[in-house]
Amino acid sequence: MISFDDYIEKFDKLVQKYIPPKKDWTPPDQAVYGPKDPFRVPIKEGKELQFNAIKYQFKNHYENNNMYNSFCKQMNITPSDIKTYDDIEKIPLIPGEFYKDYPHGRDFAMWLANIFTGHIPQVKISGKNPNFDDIINSFNASGFVVAYSSGTSGRHTFIPRDSRTFNISEYAIAKNSITMAYPVYDYSMKGYLLMPNPFKTNVFAGKVCTIFFNAVSEVKSAIDREINTELIKLSMTGSGSFKAKMIQKVIAKMNKKIVNDIIKWLEKNEKEKNKIVFAGAPFILYAVTKKLIEQGKSFDFSDRAAILTGGGWKIEENHRMPLEDFRKRMQEVLGINTEYCLDLYGMVEGNGWMVQCQEGHYLHIPYTYYHPMILDENSKPLEYGKWGRFAFLDGSTFSYPGFIISGDKSRMLEHCPVCDRPGPVLEPEVTRISGKEMRGCAEELRRMISMDTGDD
Amino acid sequence: MTSIREIKEKGYIPQKMTTKLFIAGAFSLSKTLLLNMGDLKKLRKSLPNSERYIRPKREYEIPKFSKDMKINNSNEKYLRPTLYCDHREPKVVALAHKLGAYKKSDREFAEGAFELVKEQMTLEICPLNSVSETLDRGTGTCFHLITAFIALCRAAGIKARYKVFAMNVIKAWYDSVVVADPLVKKWYDSMGYFMLEGEGEAFIDGKWVVAHVGPKAERQAAAGIPITKFGEDSIGRWFFAIPGTIMIMESIPYGFSGTTKLLKIIAPGSMERVNISILKQIEKGRDIINKAGGADSYDRMVRMEEGAKKPDIKIESKSQIVFED
Ligand SMILES: [Zn+2]
Repeated sequence: MISFDDYIEKFDKLVQKYIPPKKDWTPPDQAVYGPKDPFRVPIKEGKELQFNAIKYQFKNHYENNNMYNSFCKQMNITPSDIKTYDDIEKIPLIPGEFYKDYPHGRDFAMWLANIFTGHIPQVKISGKNPNFDDIINSFNASGFVVAYSSGTSGRHTFIPRDSRTFNISEYAIAKNSITMAYPVYDYSMKGYLLMPNPFKTNVFAGKVCTIFFNAVSEVKSAIDREINTELIKLSMTGSGSFKAKMIQKVIAKMNKKIVNDIIKWLEKNEKEKNKIVFAGAPFILYAVTKKLIEQGKSFDFSDRAAILTGGGWKIEENHRMPLEDFRKRMQEVLGINTEYCLDLYGMVEGNGWMVQCQEGHYLHIPYTYYHPMILDENSKPLEYGKWGRFAFLDGSTFSYPGFIISGDKSRMLEHCPVCDRPGPVLEPEVTRISGKEMRGCAEELRRMISMDTGDD
Repeated sequence: MTSIREIKEKGYIPQKMTTKLFIAGAFSLSKTLLLNMGDLKKLRKSLPNSERYIRPKREYEIPKFSKDMKINNSNEKYLRPTLYCDHREPKVVALAHKLGAYKKSDREFAEGAFELVKEQMTLEICPLNSVSETLDRGTGTCFHLITAFIALCRAAGIKARYKVFAMNVIKAWYDSVVVADPLVKKWYDSMGYFMLEGEGEAFIDGKWVVAHVGPKAERQAAAGIPITKFGEDSIGRWFFAIPGTIMIMESIPYGFSGTTKLLKIIAPGSMERVNISILKQIEKGRDIINKAGGADSYDRMVRMEEGAKKPDIKIESKSQIVFED
């Protein structure tokens, strides 16, 4: 069996272009790219890396972001207040809602420019009345990587990353997953992306998977058409316009095709004895296995396949599937080992990709650059073991203050109850706090695709 | 017969501010209508194949009036009958007694009346009418509902009054109610704020306590805001009052129902569409509350979010962002 160090070195070589030259590393780069196994760094060392990265970014946003600077002044906190590790929880947190409260049209472009930290390159936007997609594409043509949550409620979370910050997010999602999947991953794997094609969308959950194309030898995308805010709006609102109805029809047709394509792909890879990996929305695999069960078919991919899921566990309308049942089903129908069926938790607002361990399926937190917190109703941090709102200080975001209160409810434990990794974990399942909005990109996708798998 | 003195004393003549707002509202409504004659033709009727509004069933019982029920016959300010708000009507008296009039403390009674009106009555856009009709129907505009609350309080010998203001709605609410109908939207947009909104106030233990009875819990949940309780103001949370427009009134003034009457005559389709949208919103809110594990648990979680401060953003123009026509 390959040693862990060789395993990660091989991966690092494949994704060289996401890693800045070592001579340019700042404390945030050190915290993300430095550790071989981000989940096994001794706590003391991890805290040091985390503190240096967060302190660096706090100073950066305080000095280079007017919006955040005045917010900190209002809260009466300056970088000189952050002296030791115990001080970091004083850093002012921005409610995630803030990134959903944007104007339309040309004002949207100015809003994006105003929430951005640091130097803004020239962005040319054409048209009298540009929509969100026009503006984002213009920004991204100038070196930004603006991405957004799919926003079931019609409101997106827009986050302005620069390419450096986006590279970190991509690197971290891949490295954290591959670390936990040790030793099953290797470059020869054939990948199936259960998300929109990253090259055809600015939806964060799709776009952040660009690195998948570098990490494995071949990738197919389940959703291969362009996905933009207009299309999402038309497919979600169910508004009765002719165009919306057309789109919904096309999508329904696409769904059947996705399931059939995946089954064909499984058959081919079984025949060729290939290693495979699925990454993305669990409901698509649920639909695939449902069809396979109906057809009385099954596969045996044991020891040569992995499933990395993310984005929520609503499998069908009014049906949440317990993760354990999902893993069991994947093993029964596809033969994939339950320990290689891992869920991820992350969000467009940050680069902190949490991944389940094989042993206990708890969500491990990448604590070398990311400080997790659970808050009570007065936004005060709670002790381990208490339920509350998930919040974080992300020491890896250069282009916007990644100090955020999320809308998700969870519980944090100081150590994993099952495995021996030293850092903190979240409960295996994270849920949305209020019904203000359905959370999770998989849920958003599921709705958009309105998968035709109901008991019809 | 209403005497001139009564008209003057009880404030039936609109205050200067109300008049100003009325004129602004009427002007902007006429302008909207004139500029949208094409839309208007379509909106005049609910289209035959579109969904119809079905009024929800009343959620509470009104007991029979009996002669031994105590009636408040005071002529003191805030305790006496006013326009559309005669608390001596038998249905009002009977319902007030069911809620514990003259038995419970003023606060307990007002809280009970608040709960009944806010949570068991439903918003429906329709012209103003007597308070008994409103209680009978179980629905009405926020002014019907405030009137119901005020009448119940006065029937129990508790002083009560109106607090009226012009408002700016929060976006979520705007999206579900105002945007539901194109004509209402145009009207709203052309004015920048919706005509008038209000709350009730009851005089409890020497203080005026606010009662925002308009939105029931389900509607608040649909908008993602906390479920407000007796004593909690809607201003700043649910509505943003236009500065300088807050007025305290003993009575609804004359001419107040003009706008809804007008809307009903010229655009009944608009009214129906908004009412359908309100019911859908309630449906959605009910689902949200159920998913959150009940109203209390929903409320706690949302208030958790409200506690956090958000940065203010002043959008400055940046020369790097270039718009090309
Ligand atoms: Zn573990």
